[in-house]
Amino acid sequence: MDISSDESDDWFMESLNTYKDLHVFQLEHPTKVIEWTGDKNICVAGYTGARSEILELLLPLKLYAGENQGLCAERDFKVQHGGFSEEPIESLIHIPGTRCVVTSGSFSTTLQIWDIGGDDSDVIKKTGVINLKSTSAKGSKIAPGLTDEPAVLHGSCISEVQLTEIATGRVLYTVAKESSDSVSGLQFVNACVFLICASDGSLLMGDTRDPSTCHYPLEDSKSDLHWAFGLRTDGSQSEPSCCTVARLSSSGHMLLSDLRNVQRPFCQTQLNVQHNTSENDFLNVCWAPVLDRCLSVSGFDGTVHIYNTMNWSTEGQSPQPVFSHRGHEMSDEAKYSGSLPVVTIHSWHQSRPKTVLSAATDGSLHVWDWVDKITDR
Amino acid sequence: MPEIRVTPLGAGQDVGRSCILVSIGGKNIMLDCGMHMGYNDDRRFPDFSYITQNGRLTEFLDCVIISHFHLDHCGALPYMSEMVGYDGPIYMTHPTKAICPILLEDFRKITVDKKGETNFFTSQMIKDCMKKVVPLNLHQTVQVDEELEIKAYYAGHVLGAAMVQIKVGSESVVYTGDYNMTPDRHLGAAWIDKCRPDLLISESTYATTIRDSKRCRERDFLKKVHETVERGGKVLIPVFALGRAQELCILLETFWERMNLKAPIYFSTGLTEKANHYYKLFITWTNQKIRKTFVQRNMFEFKHIKAFDRSYADNPGPMVVFATPGMLHAGQSLLIFKKWAGNEKNMVIMPGYCVQGTVGHKILNGQKKLEMEGRATLDVKLQVEYMSFSAHADAKGIMQLIRMAEPRNMLLVHGEAKKMEFLKDKIEQEFSISCYMPANGETTSIVTNPSVPVDISLNLLKREMALGGPLPDAKRPRTMHGTLIMKDDSLRLVSPEQALKELGLSEHQLRFTCRVLLHDPHSDTDTLGRIYTHLKSVLKSYSIQHVSDGTVIVESIVIKVTSSAEEPNLKVILLSWSYQIADSTDTKKKKKKSSFDL
Repeated sequence: MDISSDESDDWFMESLNTYKDLHVFQLEHPTKVIEWTGDKNICVAGYTGARSEILELLLPLKLYAGENQGLCAERDFKVQHGGFSEEPIESLIHIPGTRCVVTSGSFSTTLQIWDIGGDDSDVIKKTGVINLKSTSAKGSKIAPGLTDEPAVLHGSCISEVQLTEIATGRVLYTVAKESSDSVSGLQFVNACVFLICASDGSLLMGDTRDPSTCHYPLEDSKSDLHWAFGLRTDGSQSEPSCCTVARLSSSGHMLLSDLRNVQRPFCQTQLNVQHNTSENDFLNVCWAPVLDRCLSVSGFDGTVHIYNTMNWSTEGQSPQPVFSHRGHEMSDEAKYSGSLPVVTIHSWHQSRPKTVLSAATDGSLHVWDWVDKITDR
Repeated sequence: MPEIRVTPLGAGQDVGRSCILVSIGGKNIMLDCGMHMGYNDDRRFPDFSYITQNGRLTEFLDCVIISHFHLDHCGALPYMSEMVGYDGPIYMTHPTKAICPILLEDFRKITVDKKGETNFFTSQMIKDCMKKVVPLNLHQTVQVDEELEIKAYYAGHVLGAAMVQIKVGSESVVYTGDYNMTPDRHLGAAWIDKCRPDLLISESTYATTIRDSKRCRERDFLKKVHETVERGGKVLIPVFALGRAQELCILLETFWERMNLKAPIYFSTGLTEKANHYYKLFITWTNQKIRKTFVQRNMFEFKHIKAFDRSYADNPGPMVVFATPGMLHAGQSLLIFKKWAGNEKNMVIMPGYCVQGTVGHKILNGQKKLEMEGRATLDVKLQVEYMSFSAHADAKGIMQLIRMAEPRNMLLVHGEAKKMEFLKDKIEQEFSISCYMPANGETTSIVTNPSVPVDISLNLLKREMALGGPLPDAKRPRTMHGTLIMKDDSLRLVSPEQALKELGLSEHQLRFTCRVLLHDPHSDTDTLGRIYTHLKSVLKSYSIQHVSDGTVIVESIVIKVTSSAEEPNLKVILLSWSYQIADSTDTKKKKKKSSFDL
């Protein structure tokens, strides 16, 4: 009569108290992108095969049923649109206000432009390409422009970063800096101001109205570390003065900077995580859209850690996460495969304060709403 | 062209009822006969006028196959067999045969007694219908008639659910019914061998979903039960005797043990007896874990779960009760519900679909006031939770099944074509097979390419080998000649001579003649000799003989020379040949040509 009482069962039993909602899904192919295309929709895409699927999924309706949640049995994702890409997909971004997404693949010479589709068809169709100057193993990093005319900011190394208009292919802006440093991430702060984070952790801030960019190298840069960044803004038309950027290294070193004073991070700390020595770029740091000063971190292993930076100071003590999601390590697949999965990407729900989506190398996709032991109950 | 035709009965885009007609090898089969639960009028029955405008269906159908006991797959069966009229065999697995009548009767009671419907089947009709049932065992080939055979495979999903392979000659179709590819606590996963059917027919209702894990559904269930019990409330779980009940009991038992909970859990005795009885009968249908458990002890002997007595419902304090029937439409579960509905601390968990007209259906639609017998109203203050535990295959599952069976073509029913183009593309690209998605009422024809096995006589085979080299190579088909004899059920290819002998016919030979006139002063013999010499020099690759009786023979063509009676210098060359294949026609032409040269 016993269900085997192993660690995974324990975790599920514990989850009754530690999570408000928990949904565990298994995609056919793992994804390293989760991109919101609507209030209730996300796009995921394969990166492990030569041919990949791009899927637009509708989140389980149970999450939106509010008070009637009990009467809603809909716990599944619905595949609303799907398409095929001839290359593994490293990055995928949605152009706000449109049904257009742009993808970039490993070693690809172009960025692919797609129409996700409407009600009349469930097929995601390719509508065009943007030619790239060079290829790179991790593919070009991409970010949506925040102007009215759809554009994409892209580049795999700093000197090649440019802003291209999607409809015409016209280059609207090029970064004038001569630098072969590879780009780890880029993002617009508002319609004109953008931020580039290089793999070595240095930041570049630019303005599309001004050809020059400001470069902020790290004080103490170690060559074997790889950095990722997460930008916290209060809307799409933010002023740099209200923005905070978090930088995370593959050894768990975290820097928080105000965009008014990028050179001097207002907080530095060392997270208690395993140093990620692999070549993968699953390193991910995100700010929570609703919860004040909360950020989340993943890519070191099969866990997503959530921290409240409110109490962090400039002293270097190792902060404890307010919550850690270990679900990806507890799956049946993990048990049988021998190697533990690594979280490839995670993303916060736009409006539900504590709902997070996370995906891992074993194809798992989780949607979870965690309980803060201190503030909840 | 030989083809298989499939027509899902129903109108427009409506899902929720399965009834599919298949024509294969001259046989007509009805797959499932479900009731549409959303309609109150005749639209709930499948539209049999497609088969025949009026009259009974017996002569139009070779058999009916029912995949499992859910009402949307078997609900219209008594209507079809007893009210429309069908007397042929109805095939289903043993558990389905045992459970179907119970559900049908329940359903009938609700519809007729509670809702007062008139155009509906009676209890006697259900009994008469079930008399026509022929039970199936898994993996056993059943001959419906001389040409039609069927075989059932394990489908998971619910107790007794089967996928069925239908075969006529070398053409076959597999129908999946409802199935799932991931095992759960009490049922295994669907399985089929690489039977390579011409067509695989599958439901596509869940084809575009990605299912939440079983574990998370269970977690939710435990969480709700725990929360209710912690605040002192009572939890009612209306269940049908088989399937989920047992699974949920196991789950609760383990949880109670682990959390050291004290609140009592009960199940009504009606549930125990029936469930035990059926599980004993159908133990092979459950998965390994359950089988092991059952062997060790009576599966309803739990440490924390006890038999229910109706007086317990009035006991104070928290408790959990499993009671039948599952839709709160009558009996014990309804009685308990009435007692507990007024307290908001309590909870009712509905683990499945409820038919219209039942209390279950009403509360799941959010109704807060219910009208009971004698005009009494019941305030529904307790928490209502709808939890779906039924196991269905999603997109990933469909791909897995196709990989297992390797069909030549795929057909998906009950999906909206424009919402499934991606899945169609995916299937077509990954497996290089065609994927069809007919709308209800639409017929799809799939061309098959059946191979017809023919026995070839040894003589003929040897003759062919002598002519053209080694035994037939599958990669290099060759044309050959022979006589095909179709007798009884066998097809044989033999040489013409043997065929004639077997048929007792005498062989006739056709000989053709032709006269060529030639001016030649030589004697007949000399002319013949000159013809012989000439032919020998121009027709080097052919066998030419000058026979002493005064003829020249080229292969089988005989040449004679005679003189015309009126004119001695006018020679008449008589050519005669038998009817042969094209080769000799060339010889004949060559000869004609060369004779002009003379």
